[in-house]
Amino acid sequence: MGQRLTGAEILLESLIAEGVDTVFGYPGGQIITVYDKLYGYSDRLKHVLVRHEQGAIHAAQGYARATGRPGVVIVTSGPGATNVITGVADAMVDSTPVIVITGQVGNAMLGTDAFQETDVVGMTGPIDKWTYQIRRPEDVAPAVAKAFHIASTGRPGPVVLDFTRDAQVGVGWFEYEKCTHIRSYALPAPADEAAIEAAAQLIDEAERPFVVYGQGVVLSHAEEQLKAFLKKGGIPAASTMLGLSALPSDFPYYVGMAGMHGNIASNMMTQKCDVLVAVGMRFSDRVTGTPSKYAPHAKIIHIDVDRTEIGKIIPVEVGILGDAAEVLERLTERIRFSFHDEWAASARRYDAVEASRVEAPETAPADGPVNMGEVVSKVAELSGREAIIVTDVGQNQLMGARYSRFAQTRSFISSGGLGTMGFGLPASIGAKMGRPDRQVVLFVGDGGIQMTLQELGTIMQEKTAVKIVILNNNWLGNVRQWQELFYGERYSQTRLLNPDYSLIAKAYGIRYRMLDDRAQLEDAVKEMLDAKEAYILDAHVCEKGMVYPMVPGGRRLDEILLNKDEWYRDGE
Amino acid sequence: MENSSMYIISVYSENQVGLLSSISNIFTRRGINIESLTVFPSEFPGIHHFTFRAITTERAAQQVVGFIEKEVEVVRAFCFPDHVTSSAEHGILEEYLKQRNQ
Repeated sequence: MGQRLTGAEILLESLIAEGVDTVFGYPGGQIITVYDKLYGYSDRLKHVLVRHEQGAIHAAQGYARATGRPGVVIVTSGPGATNVITGVADAMVDSTPVIVITGQVGNAMLGTDAFQETDVVGMTGPIDKWTYQIRRPEDVAPAVAKAFHIASTGRPGPVVLDFTRDAQVGVGWFEYEKCTHIRSYALPAPADEAAIEAAAQLIDEAERPFVVYGQGVVLSHAEEQLKAFLKKGGIPAASTMLGLSALPSDFPYYVGMAGMHGNIASNMMTQKCDVLVAVGMRFSDRVTGTPSKYAPHAKIIHIDVDRTEIGKIIPVEVGILGDAAEVLERLTERIRFSFHDEWAASARRYDAVEASRVEAPETAPADGPVNMGEVVSKVAELSGREAIIVTDVGQNQLMGARYSRFAQTRSFISSGGLGTMGFGLPASIGAKMGRPDRQVVLFVGDGGIQMTLQELGTIMQEKTAVKIVILNNNWLGNVRQWQELFYGERYSQTRLLNPDYSLIAKAYGIRYRMLDDRAQLEDAVKEMLDAKEAYILDAHVCEKGMVYPMVPGGRRLDEILLNKDEWYRDGE
Repeated sequence: MENSSMYIISVYSENQVGLLSSISNIFTRRGINIESLTVFPSEFPGIHHFTFRAITTERAAQQVVGFIEKEVEVVRAFCFPDHVTSSAEHGILEEYLKQRNQ
């Protein structure tokens, strides 16, 4: 038998029943009943008080990405709800399981423009996986159960529960039953046998097979299945940005990151392969360059759990709808042992060019100001490649992605599809709370950190030991790079006059060190990594630093800029 | 550029507040105008049947159907070119309007 509880208590009991131990949130008028009940649950549910609701949802995203468990957010109605919208859209496009509970006015006041009332269902519907308005206390537990089921199965995503005041204060019977089935919502079924057979045949016949994988591999825990598949087929593989760390960077068949700022090998091999197997990725325009010129010689096999992704951007020869782990396992059984040694080895030739022409000048310059890539590379080296790398958006993100050299899965957390500046700082807080056992290092620009700077207060209050590296160049660097390359060096509104970050750090009681001298780099990074508490390393990097190689927007993937004036020429 | 023509998009779903808005958003986001819409309880208990008519390309119609099916409460969605279908409700309504306007 169940108990008689208020809807607010039922919510908290339901979260606990789903195994939630941490929630991120901010109180307010229409969620105050939940916060009142939370007071009595403080031994069972840790609530992290952020400084702005956007911080709550990005922290929950960081938590989810680091742990694989849904992140939970509790905010109030009206502005509380609208402030989480960016994060909801971000979690949707990056397939991150997040449960957002927004307070809402009483049932009788819905639709009356009541104080702090807003149409949450109408606003979040187009940008989340599921929205539901809870109007009665007895609906709370089933709604939470459905929310967890929907957020964490299939292609994961954000779910919004709009929790009216009547449902919070009313009393109902509580008995929790996990949701395992919704008749209108099908879970991934075993993949079609004929499609797997057709794919295996294409792979066996290929002379230059190639794999591009995305975050789907991480989400379906298919890392080992992917390795086995690549080894048996002798197939080189590239990762999308969100797929990074699914394979170790030194895995023999790994050739690097795909796309606009990806590795030369990955992009050249995409354009040359004759069969391309896409696994758990969605052919973002940042990955494909001009879609009509993507992989022109390849027959495409697309494995994805989301039916709408297959054929959405790139027409496919074989589409396989299913879970990546299951499909890869069955595909591996079917394909022949193959070697494509000469083809796979061509990656090393491209890598050699990239190492000497792009990497060496970036990560090991002889003189001049400290470079962004140099700092990232030093962090990878001194952390033993063990850290979870969180990034904001822009050059810090691209450098963090390019030079981090991952060793274990779930080690890269970044806002990919939406490209949300301000994501990094709160996401790093959530990642550290989800994985206190791991080192968490944030790379953030001087622009992006100011979009959610207030979350330093959360770090102060929660004593969250995140290591914050500000790649500080006094510019909005990525836009500045585009202005330099494509807009005639007209630097429109990209110059930043920054605050003194040492004083900001002091105000929040966070350890701080400024770095502007290469001779200090090793010592500074070591001191930061050794710190037991939060730490800000304010790296004053080359002001006009650029991220290369670069496939400019609207180009083919083999049209690669090595620097401002020089295109990559194949055969070098 | 693919040719546009009239498509019927037929949706079976749970009867859920806000679902019509979510589905119509899928058209709106792609700049597709809904020419007509009917909603009825379907032949299956508890399941509603939406019928949209819209002028679009086959590729866009297929994509819209995929995204509609992704809505959690949607059971199934289909699309057909207008000329291969006939709808009793539409037929009766069109006939009525024709006669009234004469």
